[in-house]
Amino acid sequence: MSEKYFLKENMEKNVSDYDFSAFKKALKMGQNKVIKEIEDSGLKGRGGAGFPTGFKWKLASQQEADLKYFICNGDEGEPGTFKDRLLMEDSPVKVLEGIMIGAFAVGASQGYIYIRGEYAKPIKIFNKIIKEAKKEQVLGENIFGSDFSFEMKLIKGAGAYVCGDETSLINSIEGHRGISRIKPPYPIEKGLFDKPTVVNNVETLSCAAEIINQGSDTYNELGTENSRGTKLVCLSGDINEPGVYEVEFGSMTIREIIQEFGKGIKNNKELKFVIPGGISTSILSNDKIDIPYTYEDIEKAESSLGSGALIVVAKGHDLIDLMLNASRFYMDETCGTCFPCREGNRQVHHMLKKAMGKGIDHNKTELIKDIGKTIRLASRCGLGQSSLNFIGSVIDEYPNELLIGGVDNG
Amino acid sequence: MVKLEIDGQKIEVEEGTTILEASKKAHIKIPTLCYEENLSIFGGCRLCVVEIEGEDNLKPSCATMVQEGMVVQTHSPTVREVRKNLFELIIASHDIDCNLNCLTCSRSQNCDLREIAADIGVTEIRVPPLDKGYDVDESSFSIVREPNKCITCGRCIRKCEEIQGVGIFTTANRGPSTIVTTFEDKGIGNVECTNCGQCILACPTGALHEVYHYENVWDALHDKDKHVVVQTAPATRVAIAEPFGAEPGTVATGQMVAALRRLGFDKVFDTNFTADLTIMEEGTELIERINNEGTLPLFTSCSPGWIKFIEHQYPEYLDHVSSCKSPQQMFGAVAKSYYAEQHNIDKDDLVVVSIMPCTAKKFEAVRDEMKEDVDYSLTTRELSRMIKQAGIDIMNLEDEDYDQLLGVSSGAADIFGSSGGVMEAALRTAYEIITGTELDNIDFNNVRGLEGLKEGSVVINDMEIKVAVANGLGNARILLEKMKNGEEYHFIEFMACPGGCIGGGGQPLPASNEILEKRMEAIYDIDKNKKLRKSHENPMIKKIYEEYLGEPGGHKSHELLHTHYKERGI
Ligand SMILES: Cc1cc2nc3c(=O)[nH]c(=O)nc-3n(C[C@H](O)[C@H](O)[C@H](O)COP(=O)(O)O)c2cc1C
Ligand code: SF4
Ligand code: SF4
Ligand code: SF4
Repeated sequence: MSEKYFLKENMEKNVSDYDFSAFKKALKMGQNKVIKEIEDSGLKGRGGAGFPTGFKWKLASQQEADLKYFICNGDEGEPGTFKDRLLMEDSPVKVLEGIMIGAFAVGASQGYIYIRGEYAKPIKIFNKIIKEAKKEQVLGENIFGSDFSFEMKLIKGAGAYVCGDETSLINSIEGHRGISRIKPPYPIEKGLFDKPTVVNNVETLSCAAEIINQGSDTYNELGTENSRGTKLVCLSGDINEPGVYEVEFGSMTIREIIQEFGKGIKNNKELKFVIPGGISTSILSNDKIDIPYTYEDIEKAESSLGSGALIVVAKGHDLIDLMLNASRFYMDETCGTCFPCREGNRQVHHMLKKAMGKGIDHNKTELIKDIGKTIRLASRCGLGQSSLNFIGSVIDEYPNELLIGGVDNG
Repeated sequence: MVKLEIDGQKIEVEEGTTILEASKKAHIKIPTLCYEENLSIFGGCRLCVVEIEGEDNLKPSCATMVQEGMVVQTHSPTVREVRKNLFELIIASHDIDCNLNCLTCSRSQNCDLREIAADIGVTEIRVPPLDKGYDVDESSFSIVREPNKCITCGRCIRKCEEIQGVGIFTTANRGPSTIVTTFEDKGIGNVECTNCGQCILACPTGALHEVYHYENVWDALHDKDKHVVVQTAPATRVAIAEPFGAEPGTVATGQMVAALRRLGFDKVFDTNFTADLTIMEEGTELIERINNEGTLPLFTSCSPGWIKFIEHQYPEYLDHVSSCKSPQQMFGAVAKSYYAEQHNIDKDDLVVVSIMPCTAKKFEAVRDEMKEDVDYSLTTRELSRMIKQAGIDIMNLEDEDYDQLLGVSSGAADIFGSSGGVMEAALRTAYEIITGTELDNIDFNNVRGLEGLKEGSVVINDMEIKVAVANGLGNARILLEKMKNGEEYHFIEFMACPGGCIGGGGQPLPASNEILEKRMEAIYDIDKNKKLRKSHENPMIKKIYEEYLGEPGGHKSHELLHTHYKERGI
């Protein structure tokens, strides 16, 4: 089995070498047809939540407003995720094209690409791309002789994970604290500077560009009914060949991805579990990974594909240490606005820290799970809601190991 | 209208109503911490979450609008479990340990957290308290902040910014180090805080309270060499009964006087007396400014929170502010001169205490311009503490009268306690002095009420006098901006606190709109039931001018009763 190139096709780095055929096609099709095409493709957002992109665009296009914004989310803060980086570094022009197509479809005249502050190279590249695009009049007034005009700016993130959340990201662009906003109103109705705003992930927009380019029919041939097309999978952890691999949905099981692309577990160890969608998702133990890589199959296994970060964990790790690591991340990254997330993650971290090397008894794991339930049900944004998925699932899966110190002998 | 079902009850409410409001209408109480009726929605504490049919997650009822056909459960098993867990987390972040510091907390009598704990039915706290290790902010003369008790609900931030238009608090950092603090952590005393104490009223925990001076007062009372006199501000008498379980709006003037005597004060006087005196002085100043083309509009100067606000924010308007000291300070000045002389009391042995609805009065009392006048300024809350400490059953005391002569006052002085009252009192006097005729109707209803901005006009001798009233500093700002845009007035009353002094930052808690309304009604009732209702008719006021002060606005008055202000940066 090999990678299925859909996104990884047509990788281009210079504006002047690129013909923007998809965007030109979109201009010819007109807004409604573009939206229809994306809807037909069944494309789901790749930022983690999996919201249907065509539907989002349709809602946004129906908003009446003198000004709309289009934002490309390149914050990529979820640990284990690095596929947007690949796209921004290796095919930035297609990302730009995706943004332009989306902006055209929804009627946005101003755009932003928000790139994670640590991503020095993509930032440099996009600075250059935007400059070039302006010079080549790919951005600006009446692009390619159409009546579509579009300006774009790059925003450097300040390194907070929560700023990947679209409402926090909008606050951050406006110069406020990076904290989530209460929804509704959704950004589509009232987003950046209170104007209708679409936020889409880098990979989503690259897909959109390629879908317009190749047509939704071609795209529909790939994947399954509910998981169309391909997905960039970020393979990391205890494997021999970590990297970003393009996988056609449903064509391989998780184990196959690990074996074929990751070339098996490091040091010939045994696989213990995988985290299928980044550390805000629940683990799948070794016996549960012979399932096709699709949104629906992973959901059936009570986890989520998230942003596409597939983290492989071999036997021999100190589970409490792993949990503590995840917990520290969430404790430090909560924006501090809502009580369950701020206080819950802080308490869980304290408990795990105390348990290091000693094990953690049933009362404490129950308490952690109670806190987990509270955070999941009552937190204000996705960060909190998913912050204890990983820890909770480890507790469910390995209660006895945790009791004796969290280290198995594998 | 929207039809929905809450806890099995079918109800109909207006579109745009939140689930929280709708539940209130259905007589269901949902616990809240970060919510406050007058502030924007924060959605942080999550205690108010409810279960909505068809939704995976619980939703905050304060921030979720009702929808047609919605089926809501406000106290389902899941909701109750989540609230309980959540409350454990909140408590752990609130600096409670086994030192029983609940008992020493400023809110030991009326703690929101304890009330909510009882409502939720919290039975155990499984998570250990966290020591956040922050320093107490003691930089202010009026307000203390204990960050370790702070649960970061943001109510103080929103109150100060949205209602007061000052905005000295902010959230800093993220994650576990998220804190509420002042600009660059400078401390409340080193930023543009006006000392109004509205943030204290907003705080659901004991993280904010006034700087306590009641221990100093106890010391003075126990010191045999000291002659200790006390004055009580107009708004205290309609609120002092609340901490003792009485209905808001209960008037307890005579019982408060009796309690103060039992506490050991040598004389119990009334700030109302100097409120009448203020009217004489400020009225004269207004008439002079009108007659001599002086700077107009004249701004009132009784509210020290307002004074500090204008000193920071609008120094260019300082020459509009009346030079009159506030009634508290006038009282101190008169007590330490006239009263001391008459009774042969050595000024050094005379201690003047004031009971104020206000925290800014503490700062006012130590201002360089007049720090000799008043020795200790206590809040209404502090007085209630002293009464409790002394075991005085205030609500069962017989009414007693204030001492002569600094205890006699008109109804015009009583209404100083309410927004619009100073204006009304001044108009009653100015009208009659200028025209020499008696007013037919002395009630100026258009300046009364809880509304933040009120305007009106009175014709005095063919001249139309345009007046305005602002309460709450946010409204003061709106009015000043209106002036900047060319709006003209003759006389404006400014009060720092919403509702005026009845809603002062030193008043008993809680202080909901409903309670303020009742206090306000009570104040106007006192006025209505008095025979003497105009400051210039107060016989003791006449007497003090005759015996001591000379003319309103005269030399002696200026020496004792007037002051000046200074520009403070932002
Ligand atoms: C805490 C948090 C972090 C997030 N981080 C990212 C991110 O780094 N990149 C991203 O595209 N979406 C991120 N999201 C999801 C966004 O809120 C939003 O759903 C997404 O950008 C929409 O794009 P899509 O529909 O194309 O997926 C995050 C959400 C949460 C709650
Ligand atoms: S869930 Fe966490 S990150 Fe999201 S608003 Fe609440 S505190 Fe902030
Ligand atoms: S005392 Fe008034 S001005 Fe000062 S912080 Fe509190 S609300 Fe703001
Ligand atoms: S000081 Fe009080 S009102 Fe302000 S955030 Fe803390 S708990 Fe809330």
